[in-house]
Amino acid sequence: MTNPSDLDLFEAWRAQPAPLLPLLHAFHERDGHLSEEALRAVSKDLRIPIADLFGTVTFYHHFARETGGRARPRVCVGPICALRGAQKLLDGIDDALGMPCPGRCDEPIPVLDGDRVLCGLAAADLSERPSPLPPKTPDPASECVFAHIRTPGRASLDGYRSSGGYGGLTAALAGSPEALLDVIDASSLAGRGGAGFPTGRKWRAVAEAEGAPKSIVCNADEGEPGCFKDRALMDYDPHAIIEGMLAAGYATGSTRGIIYLRYEYPSTMKVLEDAISEARAAGLVGPDALGAGRPFELCVRRGAGAYICGEETSLLNSLEGKHPFPRNRPPFPVTHGFENLPTVVNNVETLASIPHILANGADWYRDLGLGDHAGTKVISLSGDILRPGNYEVPMGFSLATLLEEWAGGAPEGRTIQAVTMAGLSGGFLAGDDLDVTLDEPSIRSKGSFLGAGGIMVFDDSRDMVDVAHAAMEFFAEESCGKCFPCRIGTQRLTERLHGGGPNDLGDWIDEVNDLGKTMKETSACGLGQAAPLITESLLRYFPAQVTRHVTGDGSSPG
Amino acid sequence: MDKFDFEITLDGERVPARRGETIYEVSERHQKDIPTLCYDPRLEALGACRLCVVELEGARNPVASCTTRAEPGMNITTRSSRLEMHRGVLLEMVASENRDLDVDPLSGYASGEMATLLDRYGARSGRFAGAKSGTSRPDDDNPFILRDYENCISCYRCVRVCAEQEGDYAISIMNRGFETQITTEFEGLLKGSACTFCGQCIQTCPTGALADIKALANKDVPGETKKTRTICTYCGVGCSVDVMTREDKIVGVLPAMDGPANLGALCVKGQFAFDFVSHPDRLKAPLVRGEDGELHETDWDTALDRAAGGFVKANQEHGRESVYGIASGRAPHEAAYMMQRFIRGGFGTNQIDNCSRA
Repeated sequence: MTNPSDLDLFEAWRAQPAPLLPLLHAFHERDGHLSEEALRAVSKDLRIPIADLFGTVTFYHHFARETGGRARPRVCVGPICALRGAQKLLDGIDDALGMPCPGRCDEPIPVLDGDRVLCGLAAADLSERPSPLPPKTPDPASECVFAHIRTPGRASLDGYRSSGGYGGLTAALAGSPEALLDVIDASSLAGRGGAGFPTGRKWRAVAEAEGAPKSIVCNADEGEPGCFKDRALMDYDPHAIIEGMLAAGYATGSTRGIIYLRYEYPSTMKVLEDAISEARAAGLVGPDALGAGRPFELCVRRGAGAYICGEETSLLNSLEGKHPFPRNRPPFPVTHGFENLPTVVNNVETLASIPHILANGADWYRDLGLGDHAGTKVISLSGDILRPGNYEVPMGFSLATLLEEWAGGAPEGRTIQAVTMAGLSGGFLAGDDLDVTLDEPSIRSKGSFLGAGGIMVFDDSRDMVDVAHAAMEFFAEESCGKCFPCRIGTQRLTERLHGGGPNDLGDWIDEVNDLGKTMKETSACGLGQAAPLITESLLRYFPAQVTRHVTGDGSSPG
Repeated sequence: MDKFDFEITLDGERVPARRGETIYEVSERHQKDIPTLCYDPRLEALGACRLCVVELEGARNPVASCTTRAEPGMNITTRSSRLEMHRGVLLEMVASENRDLDVDPLSGYASGEMATLLDRYGARSGRFAGAKSGTSRPDDDNPFILRDYENCISCYRCVRVCAEQEGDYAISIMNRGFETQITTEFEGLLKGSACTFCGQCIQTCPTGALADIKALANKDVPGETKKTRTICTYCGVGCSVDVMTREDKIVGVLPAMDGPANLGALCVKGQFAFDFVSHPDRLKAPLVRGEDGELHETDWDTALDRAAGGFVKANQEHGRESVYGIASGRAPHEAAYMMQRFIRGGFGTNQIDNCSRA
């Protein structure tokens, strides 16, 4: 097969929705890097000023601009893999680059090699393997999105249908969009990507907003370190997401859907595209997808490596081919989203819950939660824990029960020193504060938040200042650079967790606290607002480790 | 413009506001003097520096007043100990990333903005010391725009003015976070980019990271800098400028932000081409070419006779259509009028134009 010409690529993509990213990927794949000639050609064809296009390309981790750059292996150097010897593995692979957490913390160190993800602890035993299925739950009755995920063949249309798939949608299409909105409202489903905004309210806002075409965007840019739940859902239950998007399309009057998938999930890209093809062939997606001639088109767009693109407005800018800075809000995406038109942006887990709610009813879903809390939450558990993996728990479930009983607790001879919340964004919980339930009110009362549900576990052998440094380094690297408190603050906190800043402990603490307070209250988006939770919780739980770090006094008790 | 749509409460006082106005715009009308670094009233607000945050009743965190629209019934506080604390810390943060806090005022129109705020907030504490951001481009040998990014604070006013005001899109933002860098396409020199050297990036830069090389060459010229409002003499657009002089020497040109024809915009000539005034090669007396083929200084009568003779000869030999007049865009209206009278009445031809049409 001959390589496609520039013209072939332009003709394939220029009329497609959100064409810049797929076009850049097409050149990247064809040439092995993004050459100056390629960028100049893209700039001309899509009419994007060349300086803007150049700047935007440099924003992403994985677009290589030097010959052969795309093929260079990328080794995860995220906080969990760092504990397992990622640096050694990186040093042991020729020409390899480090990369931030690619969402594979339930396995040995992942290495992105072209379009494959290999896993292993040493260069010699790297192998490609499927995403781990969620471990068996002790409480199958309380599962929602994982209820059928272990059913073999669930990823195919036949398999999905034979376990009840698309039944909820078919029933919903027989009723009115208003009735569907009422069900989602009644279920109390709220955004599972971290923000927890009521899904019914978001959909209703889009349904009522002026402007067309409207869009459903699935946020599958699962970039939070320690979060890998969406990967499992997409790999094993892709039709649940499609069904959820179709339902959202019907409820809101939207005619187009885009799944924005993080670069680091190449095999998932294929799973999703295969599932969409099957759905299209069956008429579930396409000109009559929502019945009575109502169309719904659906495509996948692959990111290029940027944590901030998981922030919904940054994601929308990325889709539109703009510099992926977050937008100022208001206006919100429900009125000014993709291409400035009304848009639902929902997380994978949120959308995957929809078919189950439609099939089993709003009351069933709401009652899955404990106490006043509705529904379930998938927790991605990793680090110093016996059985890492994705666990779907009722909202309001005890963290201690999850850690100790479901996941087997810390490794033999160790105790849990601390856990992170919301991947890294919620900072640490430790000591008595581990006695929380997994729901926002409980975790927020400890100064943290549940977020997307990533929990990393660190046992009593870990140096928490080192862990905090790795976390802050991640935020510094991923800060988009738009707002001052985040751009400068994440850098300054990283330096202070790595030997920088004042030598006087009081001055050090004042600087760290002042930086943190201003970042928290004045940063433009969640990244800069959340990053200082790392230092805030470090100072709260581990003052002695901080003292030792700043003063170099090894005699202080741990 | 006088009609207001609703009221908001601003520092305890009920004030009128218009639909679509930002909190910052309403506050400015009431002389609240909210600090900013990424704000330029000509540009779409970005909300990057966060200095303009104000407290909004009901909101958990302060909001950026430059990007938040006023809504009926809002209760806004523009100054409080909490806000002043954040502003001070933000300024200490910004100060920590730059090589220089103070630059020569000839650097550019807004070049003292950061230093002024550092003084107002007592933010020269030296706290938050660490790595400096930005890589300067001493290799860019263009004669106009200094690219001293070690003094850049990533407010993106340059990138925005280039795109939104000038429409050139010559520069953009490279990399992320603390590694952010203002760049041209492929990190090249300005002369290889879409840059037209209009200098607007210099004039909006709040730190002097982008600076006027031509003006800075005069930084050692003695005397107080005096500014004289005038109109650029280069073309017919009529851009307002403030010409900076020290004693009898022009040391630089600033665009007038309130110039009705240009609102702070200039072109490469109006911005940078001021040194002809005192250039040694400048003609101060008429010259005519002698028998030897060289130019020789002479008096005006001799020179004008010589020119008139040439016109008469051309007219006699080739007819009136052999003459074509192009008035200089640098001449005032009255002179342009005289020129067209001269060509039409004097030579009897309609072949008259003005270089400003180009």
